[in-house]
Amino acid sequence: MIADLGYIALLFAFITAVYSAFAAWYGRRSDNWRWVESARNATVITLPLVALSAALLITLLLQDDFSIEYVWRVSSIEQPTYLKVTALWGGQAGSLLFWNLLLAIFTAAAMFRKWDEQKPLMPYALMVASFTQIFFLMLSAFVENPFARITGMIPANGNGLNPLLRHPGMIIHPPMLYLGFTGFTIPYTFAVAALMSGKLDDTWIRTTRRWTLVAWLFLSLGLILGGRWAYDVLGWGGYWGWDPVENASLIPWLSGTAFLHSVMIQEKRDMFKVWNMFLIIVTYALVILGTFVVRSGVISSVHSFAESAVGPLFFGFIAVMFIFSAYWLNKRREELAGKNSLTSFFSREAAFLYNNFLILAILVITFLFTYYPIISELFTGERGFVGPPVYEKALAPLFALLLLLMGVAPLTMWYRTSMNRLQKAMLWPFIIATTTIIVLFFLNIRHWAALVGFWVVTFAVVLTLMEFGKGTRARMKHGENVFVAFSNLMARNRRRYGGYWIHMGVLIMAVGIIGVELYQEETQQLMQIGDKISLGRYEMQLLGVQQYEGPDDLIITEATVDVYDNGDLVATLTPRREIYTRTGQPMTIPKARSTIAEDFYVLLAEQPTSPNAAIMRVFLNPMINWVWAGGFVFVLGTLIAAWPDAVEDRITAVRARRRPAIAVAGD
Amino acid sequence: MADVSWTNETDSGLTESRGNNRLKFIAGGVVMIAAIAFLVFNAMSGNTQLYKTVEEFHNEQASLVGRDLRVAGWVLGDSIQFEQIDAMTSRLEFDIVDDYENPDLRLHIVAMNEPMPDLLQDKAQALVEGSAGADGVFMANSGGLMLKCPTRYEEMDPSGHPDGVPVDGS
Repeated sequence: MIADLGYIALLFAFITAVYSAFAAWYGRRSDNWRWVESARNATVITLPLVALSAALLITLLLQDDFSIEYVWRVSSIEQPTYLKVTALWGGQAGSLLFWNLLLAIFTAAAMFRKWDEQKPLMPYALMVASFTQIFFLMLSAFVENPFARITGMIPANGNGLNPLLRHPGMIIHPPMLYLGFTGFTIPYTFAVAALMSGKLDDTWIRTTRRWTLVAWLFLSLGLILGGRWAYDVLGWGGYWGWDPVENASLIPWLSGTAFLHSVMIQEKRDMFKVWNMFLIIVTYALVILGTFVVRSGVISSVHSFAESAVGPLFFGFIAVMFIFSAYWLNKRREELAGKNSLTSFFSREAAFLYNNFLILAILVITFLFTYYPIISELFTGERGFVGPPVYEKALAPLFALLLLLMGVAPLTMWYRTSMNRLQKAMLWPFIIATTTIIVLFFLNIRHWAALVGFWVVTFAVVLTLMEFGKGTRARMKHGENVFVAFSNLMARNRRRYGGYWIHMGVLIMAVGIIGVELYQEETQQLMQIGDKISLGRYEMQLLGVQQYEGPDDLIITEATVDVYDNGDLVATLTPRREIYTRTGQPMTIPKARSTIAEDFYVLLAEQPTSPNAAIMRVFLNPMINWVWAGGFVFVLGTLIAAWPDAVEDRITAVRARRRPAIAVAGD
Repeated sequence: MADVSWTNETDSGLTESRGNNRLKFIAGGVVMIAAIAFLVFNAMSGNTQLYKTVEEFHNEQASLVGRDLRVAGWVLGDSIQFEQIDAMTSRLEFDIVDDYENPDLRLHIVAMNEPMPDLLQDKAQALVEGSAGADGVFMANSGGLMLKCPTRYEEMDPSGHPDGVPVDGS
């Protein structure tokens, strides 16, 4: 009954989405605004229908209704309630429904909030948004039905959520990625609407600026949390493995980052309009491709969903949307051509251009390596593969240049920057960075890549701090004290200083990445009780191994070790292995002694067979916590930049009203 | 960026400098694309692996000895063995197949000093990086052992048996 209702709601949502696309098209064609309004109302009805469907699936999960295949797959009677709820995105069918829900929320919100400001764009925006929703609802309703029943005998209990997905990081990680992914459909929708309507000024960018930032924030959060989850749960001492599925979310994040930067050139200098359109179209296509890669198994990955029929459908959809957008972009190319051009290679706009170039280069290389198995098979008949060292070798110089640019770009000015000024501003950062690496050299940090990396990071950090200092000092001249001046600086120019905070976050993360990548140490050893092993300054002693029953169907085997730093006892750790007895799925939970300088990270490498011995694997991860701290600053910066600004909103609204009503170019 | 002039043009020279800029842009673009191509080829040379299924491996075994490979297959649970040789050395062994219907066509994997992966169990899908000797035993690289995770959950039917196990990860 509940399942039928859920499915019917899904079907109705599909029908309303189809209606919405049709009504928007017909309304535009017949110049009958009532049809367009009806289309909007339909998108607003799609939302509660999808929400009802998702709520009913959660109800089924909570009721342990194992006659529903999806519930059987991802839930079990013993599963704690919160995990029964999060199981909504624990498998393929549910996560597609969840995706639909997020898309419906974003679409309805965008259509409601921007209705009066952006009327000429609306019929087209409705068509494009509905089209995306139709595709995903079609997948849910007809291909991956989450309400499908099990044929034959109904199992007494379910499989349970994959233990690897029970970590808090993993519970939030997929929704964050999905929010990021679906969020990017909104700027795309308005971009294509601008192309179709011929209203090609920067309205679409201003309209969707905050959407883009929020989508980007979620995507960033998803990537950071994914790394944290890998570090905490996968037990390999790392946080990023250049796995195709990871790359599938990184790639659209990169193009989104390029887009966020290059729209600023369009806003200030009315340049690069075609380029911005291109970037947002590519980002959208990469978002859908990312969703597809995760689900298709097209590239062997450590973690992917089961191979299913959705693959070819995704591919078809991407092709249609890409060709459709490219057609419109080409059609409007002449009208989009900017009147301005670069006046100097040392201007703010040129700096943004270099930024775009570097990010795109990173994107292209990552893309090429990720899809190398397919590409090489296509050209040579042999399926090749590239591993993480290849990525690192090719990308490290580009990342270093990007960090350098991060520091220098804020010094540049629009139109042209005086060379003198640039050189003067860079003198102190140069001296400080150089002194830093000389000190590091004498502290026995001799790896050339580390020295180059730390030089670039220090240089960029000092430059960024100087920007904060300059702004604050300027305000203090008007009688504000240092704290008031600093906070007003943030509040009055959120996008700029939020951006600098984001840069700081990236630079802090870079310190951590350099540390872990170049100075990670590890060892693995069979230890008897009382045995000691040492790694770096640390020594570790095995005190005991015990086994006990945990909640749910868990059996936990736990080792107790003492960790000594230079002979002083600093921590007692209990790394463990958990076995979910019903599925036989083990999980290795590492434990770490964390300090700002490093993590001493301990794993039980194998299921101990006696209470007197255990095989321990130990990692020394220098600076790893800088990665997480940098991630925190990064997110904070994005929040500053994206925070609603009443003054700015008013200005945008006034501007929109003042603009002469442009007749919508019909086609 | 070395090919860029450091002088500032005067306003009267703007028109001329635009044409100039375009040229510089094209030149700069070519230099940068060349730089990227260099980075890619430099990083890839000698570092790419061939991707093989068990069957492909057996068919081409002679030509694959010693080469950097990545093989994929399904784990045979009975074949998994973990042996601690001494305090610092361990040996993990198991077999993979393309198809459970054809268990004779298998590849023997050996991984030294690797922790026992959580997901290494019957019917898991394994991806292994390493190389094979003339004896046909596949030695995994350090850190070269990967097991696919959620797949298992999606592919089992309620009776607990994997349905329609595909031939490989493609």
